[in-house]
Amino acid sequence: MDRSFSPPLSQAHFDDLLERLREAEETLDAIRHGEVDAVVVGGSSGQKVYTLENADRPYRVIIEQMREGAVTLSADGTILYCNERFADILGHARESLIGREVLHFVAPADTPVFAELMAHGPASGRSAELSLINADSVGVPVNFSVVDLDMGQDSARLLCGVVTDLTRSRQRSHELAAANARLAAEIDVRRRAEESLEVALDAAGMGGWDLDLAQGLIHGSKRFDEIFGREGTPGPWLVGELLARFLPEDRPAVQAGFEAARRVGSIEFELRIERLADGARRWIHVKGRVHRQQGRNGRLAGVVSDVTTRRMTEQQLRQAQKMEAIGQLTGGIAHDFNNLLMVIGGSMDMLEEHMPGDERSRRYFAAARQGVERGALLNRQLLAFSRRQDLRQEAVCIDDRVHSFQGLLERALGETITLQLVEPEARWLCTTDPHQLETAILNLAINARDAMPNGGTVSISTRRVVVDSERAQSVGAAAGNYVAVSIADTGEGMTPDVASKVFEPFFTTKAVGKGTGLGLSQVYGFVRQSDGFITIDSTPGQGTTMTLHFPLTDDPEQARAKDDAAVTLRGTGSVLVVEDDASVRDIAVRSLGDLGYTVFEASHAQSALDVVASGVGIDLVFSDVIMPGDIGGMELVQRLRRSHPAMALLLTSGYTGQAMADQPRPADVQLLAKPYTRATLSAAVDAALEKARARLRDPGKPGV
Amino acid sequence: MDHDSAPPANPPRYKLRLFITGSTPRSTAAIQNMRRICAEHLQGDYDLEVIDVYQHPDATRDYQIVATPTLVKVLPEPLRKIIGDLSDSERVLAGLNLAQEP
Ligand SMILES: Nc1ncnc2c1ncn2[C@@H]1O[C@H](COP(=O)(O)OP(=O)(O)O)[C@@H](O)[C@H]1O
Ligand SMILES: [Mg+2]
Repeated sequence: MDRSFSPPLSQAHFDDLLERLREAEETLDAIRHGEVDAVVVGGSSGQKVYTLENADRPYRVIIEQMREGAVTLSADGTILYCNERFADILGHARESLIGREVLHFVAPADTPVFAELMAHGPASGRSAELSLINADSVGVPVNFSVVDLDMGQDSARLLCGVVTDLTRSRQRSHELAAANARLAAEIDVRRRAEESLEVALDAAGMGGWDLDLAQGLIHGSKRFDEIFGREGTPGPWLVGELLARFLPEDRPAVQAGFEAARRVGSIEFELRIERLADGARRWIHVKGRVHRQQGRNGRLAGVVSDVTTRRMTEQQLRQAQKMEAIGQLTGGIAHDFNNLLMVIGGSMDMLEEHMPGDERSRRYFAAARQGVERGALLNRQLLAFSRRQDLRQEAVCIDDRVHSFQGLLERALGETITLQLVEPEARWLCTTDPHQLETAILNLAINARDAMPNGGTVSISTRRVVVDSERAQSVGAAAGNYVAVSIADTGEGMTPDVASKVFEPFFTTKAVGKGTGLGLSQVYGFVRQSDGFITIDSTPGQGTTMTLHFPLTDDPEQARAKDDAAVTLRGTGSVLVVEDDASVRDIAVRSLGDLGYTVFEASHAQSALDVVASGVGIDLVFSDVIMPGDIGGMELVQRLRRSHPAMALLLTSGYTGQAMADQPRPADVQLLAKPYTRATLSAAVDAALEKARARLRDPGKPGV
Repeated sequence: MDHDSAPPANPPRYKLRLFITGSTPRSTAAIQNMRRICAEHLQGDYDLEVIDVYQHPDATRDYQIVATPTLVKVLPEPLRKIIGDLSDSERVLAGLNLAQEP
C-alpha cells in the first residue's frame, strides 16, 4: 500500500511524527555541535559504544597517575602503550619501550609462566607472579595481570596489563618473617632463662613470687606453694589468703613491710607462718623488689625460703656459746674454791690431833668437817659442768648399767612412780665414764620424780642414732653413730623458756633447799666431756624426755680399774713438795710430816730442780701441775724422770681434765685430785713410792 | 539520587533515565546538571537512574539511545529524549513539560 495515498493523518499521529522529527534534528544538532562524547551503534553483535576524541582523558590521567604499571600489548606481546610507572619499574625511558617485545624483559626462568599469561583465556582476566629484568639487570618481582580487550571481529587482539612491583611487599614480608623469627628466638631464650631460674631457685630451696599490687594477686612457683604448705590448688594466691598464713602477732610487720615496699622499692623480712598442710610453725625469709612501676599499678617480685633450720641452728649455737662462757667462769671459780677447801680441810686434819676431847668442840669440829665435804661435793659438780673432772673412758653398755642399779633407781623414784626399762634392739657400746653415767641417770630420774608429785611413769630406753653433718653442726658434736639413752617422764613438763636455761648452773625452779640447780649442769658437762650431746623434748602438762647421746664404739676395751685406799698409811723417806700456793703447800708439808716423811718444799719448778740437784736425796717429788714460771708440773716430772729414773713422782691438780689434755702425763705418774684428804694423800704417796721400788727391782717392766 | 530525601507515598511523578559513558567530561557535566535541575524543580517527586552504557551497553536498545549523554523522560507520557550535557536548563525544563514560569 502506497502511504502517500493513505487517508489524512490524525492530529495525534501528526504530533507524534513532528516530535520524532524534532528529536532526530536535536540529536543531529547535538552531535554536530559536539554536545555528546559517545555514540552508540547497534549491530548484529550487540550495542557498541564509540567514545569520541578526548572523551577518555580522565582515564588516561588516572592511568598515568597510578602507582601500578599499565601496559597494552598486541597479541604477539609488542608494547603498544605503557605508563610512566611501568617504565620506572623496568628502569628504561618510556619512549624506548614502546614497540619492543615485553618478553625481552621477562626473566628467562619465567618465560613459560609469561607465555601462559599471554595465551587466550577468559575475558575476566588472569594474573601471575614473575620477575622482570630491569635496566640494571636486576630481577624485579611483579604481579602481572592481563585482560583481553575484544575490539571486534575485524580488529586485532589487544591485551591490557597491570604490573604491580612486589619488591616492597616481598621485602616487608621478609622483614616480617625475620622479625617473627627474632621474636620466637627471644621468647625461647626467655623461656629457657625462666626455666633455669626456676631450677636454680629450686636448688637453693627458694620459691619465686610475683605480686600484682593492683589486682591483689600473688603468683608463686611450685616451691613457693610448698613452703606455705598449699597442696593441690594451683593458681595465684589472694593477698589476704597469704597474710592469714602468718602468725597473728607477725601480720602487722608483714603489712608494714609491703607498705614500705611501695615507697622504698624493696622488701625483706624474716617472720613466722603456720604451714597450711600440717599447721607447723616455720620461719620464712622473704626478699623482693618493685618492678614495672606504671603509675599505681606496681608489681613486686622476689624469693622466699624456709629458714627454720638455720634459725634453730643459730639459736643452738648461741646457747652453746653461752654454756661455754659460763663453763669457763665456773671452772675458774672452782679452781680457787678448791684451794680454799684444801687449806680448810688440811688445817682441820692438823687440828684434829690437838683437839680438846670435850663434846661441844667435837660437834663444832664435825660440823666444820661436814661443811668442807659439802663444799667439795659442790665443787665436784661445778668442775663436772666446766668439763674439768677426771673422766674415765670405757666401753660401756648403757642398758647393762641401768639394769645393775635398777634397785637404787626404784628407791629414788618412790612408790608412786613406775619404772619402765625398755628392752633395746641390741646391746650397743659407747665410750663414757660408767660411774658418771650412773650419776647422770640418777640425776635425771630424780628430776623426773620431782616433776611428778602425784606419781606417773619413768621409762628408760636406749637406741642407736645416726647423726648427719647438718644435725651434727646444730648439736655441736661430730657426725657419726651414737648410743642414745632417753629418760622419759609423764610429769608437768617445761616451757621452752625454762628448757633453754636448765643446764645453767644454779638454775632451778624448785623451792630453796629443795634444788641446787646443779644437777643438769653436771650432767651437761659430763656428756659434753664425753664428746656427746643432750636433747630435751618437753611439753608443758604432758612430760619431758631427756636424751643423752654418747659416741658408739665397737671396741669393748677393758676398764682401767682404779681403787682408792681409805686408810692412812704411814711411811718413811724424803718427799719434796712443789706447790705455788703457800697455804696449800703448808698443809701438804705438815700432813706428810705427820705421816712420818722427811719433807722438803719448793714454791716453783726451778727451785725444786735446785733442791734435787743439791743432792739431799729425794725419794719422791710431789708437784702441783699448774704453777707460775717457765716450767710446769708436767715438764718437771718429765725432766726428773729422765735425770733420776729411780725417783718416785706424784702429781696433783684441781684442774685435771683440762691440764691432762694439754701435755702428756708420763704413763706411770699418778695424778691426785684436789681437794685431797690426808687419807687419799697417804695412799697416793705410798703407791708412788712402791711403784718406784718395784721398778728398781725389775727395771725391764714399766710401772704397774 | 536525591529523591530518597523525601520519599512520597505514591509512585513518583517523574521517571527519568540518564545514559552516560563513564566519567567522560560531558557525562559528568550531565550528571551535575541533572542533580541541580532535580533539586530546583522536582521537589523530590522523581525516580532517576544513571546508566553507564559501558557497563550496560544493551540498556541503550530499549530507548534507542544513539549518543551519550541522553536524558530519557519515561513518565509522565509521552516519552521524551534530551541529548547533550543538560547545560541548557530551559530546554530541559521544556522537555520535562515544566516550562519556566517567569
Ligand atoms: N624432768 C623434768 N621435768 C620438768 N622440769 C624439769 C625436769 N628436769 C629438770 N627440770 C627443770 O630444770 C631445772 C633444773 O634442774 P636441775 O639442774 O637438775 O636442778 P634442780 O633439780 O636442783 O632444780 C629444775 O628446777 C626444773 O625446773
Ligand atoms: Mg636436779
